[in-house]
Amino acid sequence: MGSVETIRSQLQIWFRSSVFAVLLTVFLLLITAFLNPWILAPASWAILLGTFAPFAIAAMASTPAIVSGGGGIDISIGPLMALIGIVFVKVLLPNGLGAPWFSIPIMLAMGTAVGMFNGIVIAQFRYPPVITTMSVNFVLTGISLAVAPIPIAAIPNWTSQLAHWIGPIPGSLLTIGLPVLIWVGLKKTAFNRTLFAVGADDATAFSAGIDVVRTRIVAYGLGGLFAGIGAIALTALLQSADATQGGQYTLLAIAAVALGGTTLNGGRGTLRGAVFGAAAIFLLQDVLTALDVPSTWLRSAYGAALLAGVIVGARAIMRRSGSSEAHG
Amino acid sequence: MTMNVADARSSEPRISTTGKTDKPASDREMLVLRGQGLAKSFGATKALRDFSFDLRSGEVHTIQGENGSGKSTLVKVLAGVHTPDSGTIEIDGHLLKQMSSPFQSLQNGIGTVFQEVLVVGPQSVLQNVWLGSDGLFKVRYGHEERVAKATAVLNDLLGLVPDLEAPVETLSLSDRQACSIARALLRDPAVLILDEATSALDVATRDRLFDILRTRAERGKSVLFISHRMDEVTEISDRVTVMRLGETVGTLNRAEATPARLVQLMTGSDVSSEPRKRAATKSKTQRVLLEARSIALLPGRQPINLTVQAGEMIGLAGLEGHGQEALLRALGGGVTSSGEIMMHSQGNTAVVRNETEASKHGIAYVPRERKTEALFLPLSVLDNFALPTLKQDTKGGLLWPAQSRKRFFDLAKRLGIRYNDADAPVSTLSGGNQQKIVMARWLAADPKVLLLNDPTRGVDAHTKQDLYHLLQELTDIGLAVIMISSEVDEHLALMDRVLVMRDQEIFRELNRSEMSRTSIVSAFFGKVEQ
Repeated sequence: MGSVETIRSQLQIWFRSSVFAVLLTVFLLLITAFLNPWILAPASWAILLGTFAPFAIAAMASTPAIVSGGGGIDISIGPLMALIGIVFVKVLLPNGLGAPWFSIPIMLAMGTAVGMFNGIVIAQFRYPPVITTMSVNFVLTGISLAVAPIPIAAIPNWTSQLAHWIGPIPGSLLTIGLPVLIWVGLKKTAFNRTLFAVGADDATAFSAGIDVVRTRIVAYGLGGLFAGIGAIALTALLQSADATQGGQYTLLAIAAVALGGTTLNGGRGTLRGAVFGAAAIFLLQDVLTALDVPSTWLRSAYGAALLAGVIVGARAIMRRSGSSEAHG
Repeated sequence: MTMNVADARSSEPRISTTGKTDKPASDREMLVLRGQGLAKSFGATKALRDFSFDLRSGEVHTIQGENGSGKSTLVKVLAGVHTPDSGTIEIDGHLLKQMSSPFQSLQNGIGTVFQEVLVVGPQSVLQNVWLGSDGLFKVRYGHEERVAKATAVLNDLLGLVPDLEAPVETLSLSDRQACSIARALLRDPAVLILDEATSALDVATRDRLFDILRTRAERGKSVLFISHRMDEVTEISDRVTVMRLGETVGTLNRAEATPARLVQLMTGSDVSSEPRKRAATKSKTQRVLLEARSIALLPGRQPINLTVQAGEMIGLAGLEGHGQEALLRALGGGVTSSGEIMMHSQGNTAVVRNETEASKHGIAYVPRERKTEALFLPLSVLDNFALPTLKQDTKGGLLWPAQSRKRFFDLAKRLGIRYNDADAPVSTLSGGNQQKIVMARWLAADPKVLLLNDPTRGVDAHTKQDLYHLLQELTDIGLAVIMISSEVDEHLALMDRVLVMRDQEIFRELNRSEMSRTSIVSAFFGKVEQ
């Protein structure tokens, strides 16, 4: 009986934070299947997931900074993914440096470095996260435009498989799976609970001897690392160097995180929520397109989704403070 | 490092582990912590001037002092939150080169529990008790060990163990504070600092904590204890060091530390003479302006009845957080548990139900945090003055700025406000002059009762004198003033009556002839002395 109770409560906890995004995803999936029955065919899954992967990873990359609290947010994720992709297509590939064993570490290192730079400026020098990452956003976009003023097609390379099938599995499950794997791995270390403690109450964490600054730097670095993975997924999809791509993910990724039940105040959130939040927004776009909604209205729909996410998040916070008052 | 300390100590013959013998303090081997000449300033405020003390192995050492004597700053220096400007800290005879974070302080064997209940609300009890024990990535303790030790410590503290997996925010305030105390106890620090950490605890938990402290003392572990409760101090302390104005006044042994002696040291009343009391108030009209009828600040507290006469100046005193601010806000129409506030004027009696009605009936509340609660910092001096009373400057629905300007110049002259440009941001003025602007704003509304929340805090001596003169003038023309002050001398110099608050009740009312430093400060600590 006890174990059933435990499983049930575990399920409840699993479900509670991201329940809204999960239900919305299922709902939209059903509508999409009704409007576009072809998505039910397994053959189309690889393409579908390949289109979804960069967005899902951008949402996951936005999560650590938000969870780290103190108004944390990283709005340079999208342009960072674009720039890393451009470096791969325009610099590494033409110079014969595109081999996976060589290019993957470089791309991941680039992402981590930019993320940690953001973290250092924000946590060590105490600049506001929005201003800092917005500035970095502009800088990265500018570099991308300088390196690739016009879109250039990539020469054939290994990434294209990641947007199709690799043997029996869709290749993008690898790119989506890697951040999840890293996150699960971190849960085996102390970092995860340290990060959530810092995000929920940095003063308490500081007084307990936790290095708040280093924790936040690592959080932004982790987001950058995920952005590096996202760059691979983006290149797999686009097969080109295009400075105008990537930027559109920035705010949508934040919307996805909020929709997934992660509060923008920090200290509460899940990577799972980010993926489901992204899935809901992604499917929303499909549904609206399938319904012949003019593209002008797509943006309004995103806006409504973000609003709904923020409201759900705010209600979760209100419930929390209400309960603690009742006990105080 | 803590481990080395313990090893070194156990290898030598120990004379005393309890610190309760009369071994002379000069025996350096017994000292675990020694601070000398510690000083810390925040801007122009010298919170800690010159503080020295030593802590013996296995003793409970209490630091006592009035509000603003520097206790909290001292604790934050020792806890690594603040870096001292000057002075030295020695631990086991080793001079500390740097202690710039709580982490380093903990590494040096100092564990601190603060007055604020510091827990991470959404995280589990277990996680809160073990908070900070891991590295950034490294897990230092296995799950079984974490559960076992947390269970043991919480059992000692609470008598029963709460659900370790429950979010700590679902616990009562007392149990939450027990979690943060358990966090410090788990690390078994050589020095445990309790900075008013007992104020959030219920009595049973506090008694169990004291038992734990005594057991620790037998193992040679020391406690630096800060409490405003005289009974706690005399119950548990081996020695007491008294602070005044950021300096050490003296250290007493348990036998010497009588409440009377402590109060004397805290106030320094044996050193200087009592300040001159204010001249007797001019013939009172005996006209009651404001009346509080059985208002209770918290459910179940002794109700407060108060009548305030025109021209009267009443002081609210007490240790911080004992209800002075709540009472003042209640008089200004704020929320109370029960009772009512009546305002009498020209034969009419009106019930004051909220802040808006209070202000309509001529009750002006001047908040303490002028920067956050009273001033619009980026706006001009003139706007800050005139905004709430702009109605006086309108004709036919239009604003006549020249009228505001004239009103301002008149009052500024009367209050002696020093400013260069009435259109410059108010943030360019000194703190004292900002306070005068806030006063001027309320005076412009022509109030009958002025409620002042510690108006002289952080204000220079000269401006204080200006304010005193102003208050004297105002009461002379029939205003009633009720004022919180954290300075005992201010009460002595200004007030017709002083109400000393304790635990959200009026503990003692002192009239002019009963007022002295000793009688006021004794009442802070729940003692009745003349």
